[in-house]
Amino acid sequence: MLVEKYEAPLRSFLLRAVGAEGADDIAQEAFLKAWRASKQYDGRARYATWLTRIAWNCRLDALRRDRRASEFPPEEAGSAPVAAEVADMLSRLSEKERAALVLCEGHGWTHGEAAELLSLPLGTLKSTVSRAKAKCRAMWEGPDHG
Amino acid sequence: MADEFERFLASAIAPPDRLPDRRFVARVQARILLDEQLARERRALMAALGRQIVALAAVAAGIWVIARAAPVADVFAQSPAVALAILLVAFSFVVAMFSRSGPQAAV
Repeated sequence: MLVEKYEAPLRSFLLRAVGAEGADDIAQEAFLKAWRASKQYDGRARYATWLTRIAWNCRLDALRRDRRASEFPPEEAGSAPVAAEVADMLSRLSEKERAALVLCEGHGWTHGEAAELLSLPLGTLKSTVSRAKAKCRAMWEGPDHG
Repeated sequence: MADEFERFLASAIAPPDRLPDRRFVARVQARILLDEQLARERRALMAALGRQIVALAAVAAGIWVIARAAPVADVFAQSPAVALAILLVAFSFVVAMFSRSGPQAAV
């Protein structure tokens, strides 16, 4: 079933982009909406892109409902120090920077796909990814990293 | 060519290569089933409501036609109480009929 196939990438993206709090709820809502709107999927975009767009819209709706949620809740780091380090890096980026970085650098999306999802012009998306990467690099190469 | 940082970043934020989370999948499937069931019930209720509106309109039209017939109209004009009693009986009959084939039966 589609849920089995797409839950890991979608939840991973949401966890990185919006934080642990609410990521699963958004993913669940997105799957439900995708199921309801399955007849509207025309196959022009990849299913993962279509589903992620639905999830992102759920996230924006949730933000509109609750403005307080705009603060990024730190991701639960788990046991691995690398996960904690990455979570810390991402928490210092804006939400759009996180989303753009995770999609383009981690999930292999094209810049065009990510630009469409985030409603950004292509050039802006590219500069957002570069800026996010530069910020992460600066943190990674910072004094604490040795 | 990607340097050490880029490789680190890409692997750290890549989607996890793991088996599906059974609990999450089951939760979503349960919600989808529930949604499906609610949609079915909603459709059945709307269909029942539609049928009842049509039936009510048919009964009302029947009463109106009968009431306009000359002999009946004369009786009604002479004794409005009889007309009212007949209307009440007809209304009770309609209510009894609808309550037998109500929403519970439709669902």
